[in-house]
Amino acid sequence: MSARNSLALSVLVFMAAALVLPWVGAGSISLARVLRHEAPDYDILLQLRLSRTLLALVAGGALSLAGALFQAMLRDALATPYTLGISAGASLGAVAVIAAGWETFFGIPVTWVGALVGAFSVLALVVGGGVKRRQISAFSLLLTGIAINSVCSAFIIILSSFAGISRSFSIARWLIGSIDATSYTSLGVLTVVVVVTSSFILTQARSWNLLAVGERWAASRGVRVGSLLATGYAAGSVLVAGAIALTGPIGFVGLIVPHLVRSRISPDHRILMPCAFFFGGTLLAFCDALGRIVIPPAEIPAGAVLAIIGGPYLVWVIRQRIPVEEI
Amino acid sequence: MLEIEGVGFSYGGRSVLHSASFCAGEGEFLALLGMNGAGKSTLLDIVSGFRRPETGSVTIAGRKQSDWTLHEMAQQVSHLPQAVHADLPFTAEQLVAMGRYPHTDRWFESDEDHRIIQQAMQRTRCWAQRHRVFGTLSGGERQRVLLAACLAQNASTMLLDEPSTFLDIEHQLHCFTLLREEARAGKLCIAVTHDLNLALTYCTRLIVLADGVVAHDIPSSQAQDNQDWLALFSPRLSLGNTPAGTPWIWYQ
Repeated sequence: MSARNSLALSVLVFMAAALVLPWVGAGSISLARVLRHEAPDYDILLQLRLSRTLLALVAGGALSLAGALFQAMLRDALATPYTLGISAGASLGAVAVIAAGWETFFGIPVTWVGALVGAFSVLALVVGGGVKRRQISAFSLLLTGIAINSVCSAFIIILSSFAGISRSFSIARWLIGSIDATSYTSLGVLTVVVVVTSSFILTQARSWNLLAVGERWAASRGVRVGSLLATGYAAGSVLVAGAIALTGPIGFVGLIVPHLVRSRISPDHRILMPCAFFFGGTLLAFCDALGRIVIPPAEIPAGAVLAIIGGPYLVWVIRQRIPVEEI
Repeated sequence: MLEIEGVGFSYGGRSVLHSASFCAGEGEFLALLGMNGAGKSTLLDIVSGFRRPETGSVTIAGRKQSDWTLHEMAQQVSHLPQAVHADLPFTAEQLVAMGRYPHTDRWFESDEDHRIIQQAMQRTRCWAQRHRVFGTLSGGERQRVLLAACLAQNASTMLLDEPSTFLDIEHQLHCFTLLREEARAGKLCIAVTHDLNLALTYCTRLIVLADGVVAHDIPSSQAQDNQDWLALFSPRLSLGNTPAGTPWIWYQ
């Protein structure tokens, strides 16, 4: 199958997931009752499962695209949206407000606000720390991100220790990442942010190709490497922060999907990035639907389902990697 | 075409270049020579725009380098770096296609771009490897792919940092023949090399860097007249002639 056909397939799969997965769950929903707008089927479908499926599609797409972006910037197929510390910052912000016992702020869940504030604080710190003599490099971003990751993780542990049992449970639940029903207003805001940011990232796809080979390679072909890295990091951070503010730090989707698309379809970011978005959204929505039906009426968080699939996959990926020296 | 005037550069406190100057025009094929650490690669980085000189200036086609945008520079100057570690699995053809980046704003390459890419890969004898992942190629095959990417960039000045590295003898000769053809077609080629005989045989001028400056700037045809430049490399070298009468550097 050609790369362009694969792109068309990814769009079809994404749309099919949006149509089919809301019907999957612990209890069956009658199409006839939905068409007649009869409770509870109509409400379950519209207010719970559809919003949840759409959230998974948008957030999964955003995280997967961010993964592809950071892998290009860092020139490492094992980089994730969380490698540069954004997730740790968002998690620290959310954990801080959960530990403080705050729940809503003018009707908005305070974890969203905390996650966004945490993520953008880290963004400022990493870019600030990574800039040296008005130059920025992927290496300095990576080192600064790793350092900030460690610091945030330490504070999360400290806050969890002092939060009490029930809040510690809430913190642990948030940190595993899950897809819950959300308001269409929140979903709409996230969708707008993701569409605008993703479009910007996609317009730079040819430059990501060059940067994925090397900074010197990109610069000698006309790419302004420093500003591209800074805007790429900022755009990726917006995607990650927006998604995990609503879902928690769901891991692996940003690693597995770009890697699969790169190895099975194309490493060319003009194909890779849109495919990663559509397949990533589909995978997260599928994992969320799977988590709803495995042990009903209990639900397994989508983050846990992805980790169960993603952990072994990561081991397989590492075993498949051939060190350059062995070629 | 290219004027380098009093260029200086240092890494931290270690000065590599402090006042390097020379001019070159179209149709020339320059060998940039010098011992390890003499600043050859740094000078190419400066001319390509990857590094900014701390002192001095670079003028390309009559315009100060600082007046060019990076995009415009890439249309004028192509650069073959010493090594490229493409860890992500791009194919050889995809890498060569990146050479067309400065010339098009299209989302995908045009038929004309594909024609140029194919021609460049055929000239460097790597067309057969076009579908292979770059990281799985041998060192010599990679070098030919990178050279093809430079050719596909179609810039009027080509900077080549050790272009014959990893190449077998036949491909070394082919590489330098190809660069000489490019120069004869009106381009300016500057190649860093440690192979003095290749430089003598194919290049029109020898630029020798030592102590941060251009210590010698001599036409290849006059390399035998004053052999002081040779002593900078090793006392064991001597410049004589082959039985066919061409200059040749011998070592003891």
